[in-house]
Amino acid sequence: MLFERVLYPFDMRKASLGVKPYVLKLKEAGCKEVHMLYVLLPSEWGFVAKEEYDSEDKIEALRGAIDDGYVDGLIRIFRRMKEIAEEFEASGIKTRIVLIPGELDETIGYYSKEYGIKLVALGITDESLSFFRVGKVLDIIKAVGSPILIVKSPEEDGAKGLE
Amino acid sequence: MPLFEKTLYSTDFSPLAEVALDYVKKLKEAGEKEVVVVHVVDDLSIELPEGADLLNEKELYKILPEVDQEYVTSLIERLEAVKKILEDEGLNVKLYLKYGNIPKQIVEVAKQEKVRLIVMGAHGKGLLTEILLGSVSTDVIRNAECPVLIVKRREE
Repeated sequence: MLFERVLYPFDMRKASLGVKPYVLKLKEAGCKEVHMLYVLLPSEWGFVAKEEYDSEDKIEALRGAIDDGYVDGLIRIFRRMKEIAEEFEASGIKTRIVLIPGELDETIGYYSKEYGIKLVALGITDESLSFFRVGKVLDIIKAVGSPILIVKSPEEDGAKGLE
Repeated sequence: MPLFEKTLYSTDFSPLAEVALDYVKKLKEAGEKEVVVVHVVDDLSIELPEGADLLNEKELYKILPEVDQEYVTSLIERLEAVKKILEDEGLNVKLYLKYGNIPKQIVEVAKQEKVRLIVMGAHGKGLLTEILLGSVSTDVIRNAECPVLIVKRREE
C-alpha cells in the first residue's frame, strides 16, 4: 500500500500544519497510520537522553535530568501534537506521537526506516529553500528512502510559529 | 478544487518515472481526476525557443533534422502509451512535450494548468552539485507553487 504509513515531521510552525489536509486526504488512498515526529534538535534543546518520547510520563521522567522549563516546553509540544492527532484519529487514521532527540535528517531517516514508513509528508517554507538553507531539505530527501511529499508554505512571520 | 484533483506527472521515461506513475494512479482514490503528463526535451541537435511545444507546433517539427524528428516521434509514442495507461484507470489526461530547461518547463506547465500537485522521480546526485547547480527535483520544489511528491524507489 503506497500511502499506508505516513511520517509527518512536525515542528510547531505553520508550515507543518500545511501538511495536515494532505495527510487527511490520503486516507482515501489507503493511509491507515500517521506517525507525528518532533525532532529535538541539540541546538535548541541541548542534550536530551536518546529515547523515543511517546508519552507524557516519559517526558515527565526527564525532570531532574534537564531544566524544568524545557520539560514544560516538551509537554506543551506533546499536547499540541495530541490535539492534531485527535483529528487524524477522528478520521480513522491511527496516530502515534513521538519526540526524538537528534539531527533532523538523521532522525527522520532512522525513523522512516525503522517503522517502515511509506511516505514522508514534510512542510517547508520558501525560506527553507534559500541558497543557504536548501541543504537541510536536501539532506532530508537524501536521508529517507521512501517518497516524500513536500508542501511549501509562504514565509512565516518570525520563527515562533504556533508556539 | 480538491487537493489532488488535478496533478502533473513529470516523466523522463526512466524506471523511476515508472514507479512515480504508480503513485499517480493511486491518487485517483484520493480524488484525482485529471493528469497533465509532461516530458521536457533538452537534447535535440538544434536549438529551439525555450518552451517550444513539440506536440502541437507542427512547423517546429518540420524544421527538425531527420534524426530529431525520429526522436521526437518516439517520445510522442511513449507519451501516448502513458496516456493510455492513465485513461484505462479512468483518468482524464493531457499531454505536453516541451523543449527547454527541464525544471523551468515543468513549473511553467504546472502554473499554466493550475495543477494541485507535481509527481516526479528523483535522481541522486552529489549534495554539493545539487546545491551549486541544482537538480531537476530541487529546482521544481524551489519554484513550484504547489506541493511536490518526489518518488525515490519502488514500493516494497
